[in-house]
Amino acid sequence: MAATRRLQKELGDLLSEDSALKKSFRDIIVDESNILLWRGLIVPHMPPYNKGAFKIEISFPAEYPFKPPKVIFKTKIYHPNIDEKGQVCLPIINPENWKPATKTDQVVNSLLALINDPEPEHPLRGDLAEEYTKDRKKFLRNAEEFTKKFSEKRPAD
Amino acid sequence: MDQNADASFDPSKNYDEDTLAQQREIEKEIAASQAMVSQLHTFDEIVEEYSQEDAIYRQKIEDLKSRFKNLRKTRGDGNCFYRAFGFAYLEKLLNDGKEYKRFLDIAQKSKDELIGLGFPQFTLEDFHDTFMDVVKMVENPGTVDGLFQAFNDAGLSDYFVVYLRLLVSGHLQQNADSYVYFIDGERSVKEFCSQEVEPMGKESDHIHIVSLTKALQIAICVEYMDREGEKCNSFKFNPFESLADDTDTAPAFTLLYRPGHYDILYPL
Repeated sequence: MAATRRLQKELGDLLSEDSALKKSFRDIIVDESNILLWRGLIVPHMPPYNKGAFKIEISFPAEYPFKPPKVIFKTKIYHPNIDEKGQVCLPIINPENWKPATKTDQVVNSLLALINDPEPEHPLRGDLAEEYTKDRKKFLRNAEEFTKKFSEKRPAD
Repeated sequence: MDQNADASFDPSKNYDEDTLAQQREIEKEIAASQAMVSQLHTFDEIVEEYSQEDAIYRQKIEDLKSRFKNLRKTRGDGNCFYRAFGFAYLEKLLNDGKEYKRFLDIAQKSKDELIGLGFPQFTLEDFHDTFMDVVKMVENPGTVDGLFQAFNDAGLSDYFVVYLRLLVSGHLQQNADSYVYFIDGERSVKEFCSQEVEPMGKESDHIHIVSLTKALQIAICVEYMDREGEKCNSFKFNPFESLADDTDTAPAFTLLYRPGHYDILYPL
């Protein structure tokens, strides 16, 4: 399977010491029996999400890299672009425009960018998008509180 | 259809998922019924695809029959141009060692050029490696059957298609000034490449063909079979036209274009 060969290479890269993402995407766990499912911890560095960390799952189709991976949040997050089921709308992995040359670290980077800089123009949570646009202070306060309450513990280093 | 399930919109439902699921079904059907690259067909077989009343197309098939011996079909999955191009060209290289050496050189060098344009090195190398593996099948085993097997193996065939797409994207971006006015919508060349060239399954137009023939310096001919006129219109894509020296410009191969689809033609 072409997917396995490529994913093994990509995973090796992400797990290496030189990975540019080693601080913000970590604790990557991939079951040996299923390279198509990656679990990891997103550690944002911008408020209001820098009070916690978020578990995500990246699942790759058997046709990878010809079909895009999917990203799901396993930790609740107060964010206009991520819904209550953890689904996130990320243009880089939209099946219509997916480019096989896109690498998973680009996907994670794009996810981090979206977390740090919400796009209220394309919300999955209309209520949060409205709050974000109309009352930024309130949004930041709520998001920080929500993060402290529901998110994962940040790694010590 | 469920009577209650009329056209009412259910906001809790994810329609994108439905659309995607349906699209996958269609893809599966196509994959099950069409080979990525078919065996040779005769025009007597092809003519049966058209009804007796379809006089124009039947007449055009007769026209093709007077000039071509066979046709090889490609799967209608939006990648047909690239697959037809790749197969027809490598098949030609089986009998043209000089051209093979030239192409091998261009293909080798293309990797660094594309990386220079900003494509991610890691994935680009992955596609390039497999692309070169397929190209080198021209030497070893060097048979039509070997190429046929490779082009019907998704792990090789689709990798090959991706790399051709990257070459088109690279050429367009390198020559953005010459192409920007031929792009529909208010899009930059880079956006066009991102939306219409690099994703799998995006169909090819004139601009893609021009780019690929220029990127690889290969002249090709396309027979256009539409409802206009009595014969197919033959159109030559000649990347050497603008050059001063008059290199041999005999087309490397001929493709047949029927609206929305490309197949390979074999001359008499």
